[in-house]
Amino acid sequence: GLILLFYLVFYGFLAALFTFTMWVMLQTLSSDIPKYRDRISSPGLMISPKPDTALEFYFNKSDAQSYAEYVSTLRKFLESYDDSKQSQNINCTPGRIFDQNDVAVKKACRFNLSELGQCSGKEDKTFGYSKGTPCVLVKMNRIIGLKPEGEPRIQCTSKEEGMVEINYFPPEGLIDLMYFPYYGKSLHAHYLQPLVAVQLAINSNSTKEEIAIECKILGSPNLKNEDDRDKFLGRIAFKVQMTE
Amino acid sequence: IQDDHKLSTSELEEKYGTSINKGLSSARAAEILARDGPNSLTPPKATPEIVKFLKQMVGGFSILLWIGAVFSWISFGIQLAQGAESPFDNLYLGVVLALVVILTGIFAYYQEAKSTNIMASFSKMIPQQALVIRDAEKKELPADQLVVGDIVEIKGGDRIPADIRLIFSQGCKVDNSSLTGESEPQSRSCDFTHENPLETRNIAFYSTTCVEGTATGIVINTGDRTVIGRIASLASGVGNEKTPIAIEIEHFVYLVAGVAISIGVLFFIISVSMRYKILDSIIFLIGIIVANVPEGLLATVTVSLSLTAKRMAKKNCLVKNLEAVETLGSTSIICSDKTGTLTQNRMTVAHLWFDNQIYSADTSEDQTTQPFDQSSPSWTALSKIVTLCNRAEFRPGQENLPIMKRVVVGDASETALLKFAEVILGDVMNIRARNKKVAEIPFNSTNKFQLSIHETDDSNDKRFLLVMKGAPERILERCSTIMINGKEEPLDSEKAEAFQTAYMELGGMGERVLGFCHLYLPENEFPDTYPFDTDSMNFPTSNLCFVGLLSMIDPPRSTVPDAVSKCRSAGIKVIMVTGDHPITAKAIAKSVGIISATSETVEDIAKRLNIPVEQVNRREATAAVVNGMELKDMSLQQLDEILCNHSEIVFARTSPQQKLIIVEGCQRQGAVVAVTGDGVNDSPALKKADIGIAMGIAGSDAAKNAADMVLLDDNFASIVTGVEEGRLIFDNLKKTIAYTLTKNIAELCPFLIYIIASIPMPIGTITILFIDLGTDIIPSVALAYEKAESDIMNRRPRNKRKDRLVNEQLAVYSYLQIGIMQSVGAFVTYFTVYAEQGFLPSTLLGVRVDWENNAINDFEDSYGQEWTKYQRMYLQWTGYTAFFVSITIQQVADLIIRKTRRNSIFQQGLFRNKVIWVGIFSQIGIALILTYGLGHVTALNFTPLRFQYWFVAVPFAILIWVYDEVRKLFIRRYPGSWWDKNMYY
Repeated sequence: GLILLFYLVFYGFLAALFTFTMWVMLQTLSSDIPKYRDRISSPGLMISPKPDTALEFYFNKSDAQSYAEYVSTLRKFLESYDDSKQSQNINCTPGRIFDQNDVAVKKACRFNLSELGQCSGKEDKTFGYSKGTPCVLVKMNRIIGLKPEGEPRIQCTSKEEGMVEINYFPPEGLIDLMYFPYYGKSLHAHYLQPLVAVQLAINSNSTKEEIAIECKILGSPNLKNEDDRDKFLGRIAFKVQMTE
Repeated sequence: IQDDHKLSTSELEEKYGTSINKGLSSARAAEILARDGPNSLTPPKATPEIVKFLKQMVGGFSILLWIGAVFSWISFGIQLAQGAESPFDNLYLGVVLALVVILTGIFAYYQEAKSTNIMASFSKMIPQQALVIRDAEKKELPADQLVVGDIVEIKGGDRIPADIRLIFSQGCKVDNSSLTGESEPQSRSCDFTHENPLETRNIAFYSTTCVEGTATGIVINTGDRTVIGRIASLASGVGNEKTPIAIEIEHFVYLVAGVAISIGVLFFIISVSMRYKILDSIIFLIGIIVANVPEGLLATVTVSLSLTAKRMAKKNCLVKNLEAVETLGSTSIICSDKTGTLTQNRMTVAHLWFDNQIYSADTSEDQTTQPFDQSSPSWTALSKIVTLCNRAEFRPGQENLPIMKRVVVGDASETALLKFAEVILGDVMNIRARNKKVAEIPFNSTNKFQLSIHETDDSNDKRFLLVMKGAPERILERCSTIMINGKEEPLDSEKAEAFQTAYMELGGMGERVLGFCHLYLPENEFPDTYPFDTDSMNFPTSNLCFVGLLSMIDPPRSTVPDAVSKCRSAGIKVIMVTGDHPITAKAIAKSVGIISATSETVEDIAKRLNIPVEQVNRREATAAVVNGMELKDMSLQQLDEILCNHSEIVFARTSPQQKLIIVEGCQRQGAVVAVTGDGVNDSPALKKADIGIAMGIAGSDAAKNAADMVLLDDNFASIVTGVEEGRLIFDNLKKTIAYTLTKNIAELCPFLIYIIASIPMPIGTITILFIDLGTDIIPSVALAYEKAESDIMNRRPRNKRKDRLVNEQLAVYSYLQIGIMQSVGAFVTYFTVYAEQGFLPSTLLGVRVDWENNAINDFEDSYGQEWTKYQRMYLQWTGYTAFFVSITIQQVADLIIRKTRRNSIFQQGLFRNKVIWVGIFSQIGIALILTYGLGHVTALNFTPLRFQYWFVAVPFAILIWVYDEVRKLFIRRYPGSWWDKNMYY
């Protein structure tokens, strides 16, 4: 009996102590930006749609079912970029870092879906999957305070020559500096990160073949893309295989 | 067995193909040697090295770790087959686990081998030589070259080199005590006197010694076929009991393994029912096992024990078997020999009687003067007799040695007298030279006296001086006067009565008494030129003047009484087992305190109350002196009764065989028994005892082989120091284990919470190994250097059934209190690291699956930032490092609190044990190296850590210290309370 009581008190005390120290620790944190950002000094790249298991796309261009999931993912992903959702966003000056350090309420820059051209899903509801020109959206991970230098752009290459022709929206895969820096979820609630659509026009000879594509961020000296260990730091590799 | 003793010389010659005069031919001898092997005892069969090694590989926790390794390899195999991305982690983990087992195994084996080697080097003795007739020539040969049929010659002082049938003997006497335990020398002749070969006079046995005389004989048995050899092989049949510490460690291993397995299986089931994949569940299981098993602990225990063994070796206790170190500490009964162990093993003058008064002499080992009153002229006369009537002489060339250490040629009594005289009078040899000896009759057993006639160094006195010493009653018979204060007075009945009283008193003290008398021969009857003839005795040998008595004893070593009283306060019963006469045994027992001053035997009570022995209430007698003859007729119950009812026991006139019976009797009482022994026949008792202690100087090889420990100085007091060390190491091992077990909880909790709350893994398996085998090792060894908290020789020996090394309180306090506190501290650090990087605690709950998903490279943190897999992994390793550092910091506090179990750290002294500080610095140093030096080696999962994270757990470390001080305060304040019972380990 006494033993149980003792442990009740003892653990009660420890739990209180734990809660208290955690509370003290959380008090020292800002709710806007994390104390340290050194573990993510450079952003990773990611694509959408993202196949479940590995980054491998398999579809039959004449079978709508085989790419339905990709299409719905893209659609869902682009929902937040819909004009109706961007009513509060402002048009920023292209080509310049949009510094808002002194402003209490941080504005988000508008990202027009039309920038994505054929991959915006407006003209082609299947994002090119039905035509053998599938679209993949490449995005750069959000990092608070990151200000890319130079002219960052996404460039994708295929290892196998001549199998695929790659088109970029916006042209040349440019990422506009006006979307940076990011001020974090709580200050920058409506922030939309810039996207680059990559349209893969697969050569009709190369159907049924697995095409390896690697996309990298180029043109910015402070965005790494060659890290030995992190295969997603400023780059991403995926495979596409289309049948007819 | 053999009837060689019945055969005649010529029959023997024929049987063994030898010749008494010419001996064997060298060629024939070589042939027999090849057939029979060398003449030496085969040492007991050693366990093959490979078996010893393999035992280390599977003993203790190794099995658990092997299981962990195998599981790792299995999951590696499965992952490889499934084509997972990083299956090699598990392969490496398995290899690391296997390496841990193998390395700790090799280490333990090495330690064991090292301590065995000390022993092996010690047991090598100088080869014995034997004088053999071969090819009709006398040759000196190493004794192990002897073969059956060899003719050997022996003389006084030799060890008998084999079992031999005597064919020629001249006054040969042998000391068979190593065989039969009887210390009286027995005469040997060529006559067949008894049917039993063991009793007949014409056989001398291997390893006994020839005390005096010379003899020639035929070797009839060599090596293991000798009588001693057969006994020695019998001793190896007596099973070795498991040592108490081995039992304790086994108990502890079972306990920890039980906890590990049950938690492992429990969480395996939980994780399976939480729909984790079987493979993942297996990996969790490995983590739990690794976290639970204190990998470094058994190695630490070995090191601690061998440190103590080294310390004991410095104090003259050489430990053959590491575990015996602790056994000695739990000893509750010591059965000790008398001669040489409790006593100095040399006769020394203890008392004098002259002028109607008894004087005590100093019997200590390093006496340089004698304090008794030497002004009486009677003493002058007595000292002259002592000096002159003595044939013993110092070996030359020892002038610089202390008198007591000089080697003397002569028998024990004469040696005692010579040294006694030398101490008081100075240069005895010079005195003898100035008082030239003109005639002498040496001591013999028929007349029981020794006589010599001298010129005196007084140039005015031309009389000869006749001096005589011998058995007191015989001397008194020859006297008509007695010297009182230098004057000769007639020996009337009153004076004779006084003599009798003194004689009885000295004899009653177990001392050997000698009487001394003299006579100045009248100058007119015995002029300068008088031809003294010892055969016709043409001089007076009666009507002499009695001068005094001297009594001698083999006195106790001066350190022994203190050691015995230490044993008494330590609750250890000391039983004397000796072959000596009961009176002597009792006298020594009294003088060293084995029988305390106030206690009485049944016989004493009978004498005091003047009633027959049978009417005495046996319960009243605390002491008992048991004669070997009585013991022979006793039933086991009677022996048990004696051992139970008397706290002070002396066994006198016992044979080594009876020693075994006594040891078994003590063990039946549940005691942990230590036994000393030196003879070959002691080896069964030494083996049977929980700890056999052989004498380093007087001990035979067989005894040393059978023993667990060798006492280099043969001194009883060294046993007591050994006991002290043994008790200390038991306490300190307790501390070491408590220290080591604590952090297991802090290593285990992360796994449990990881499984249940699905947070990112707080600590890696490899990291755990770095704590267990890295930072924690030196500190846990350092605890072996801790001084005792209080006088450990003031408490009773531990009850081997109740006082466990790892008891419930220790496990509960370490696991459920300090361990949990450590976990809390480490988790606070862990959450701090994640929160300050952007993952608030609320975000972390339940993220495990996505967190560990290789395909998710835009994992969102609490602030909206996105992380790649590798960035998350790197953060996870930072978490490992932070967790590791926190445990290390809190282990410093744990180390400090484990210095004591009851006293405050401030009573014990924070800086008294310097090694603890070495431990603390090593701990922090290793952590710094791992974090900042190896922080870039990915495989080790360490990352450089922000400096402030080292201090997050510091308040918890301080809390641990404060809490433990409070615990100890309550234990000291309220002994016997609920708190004391539950919190004292």
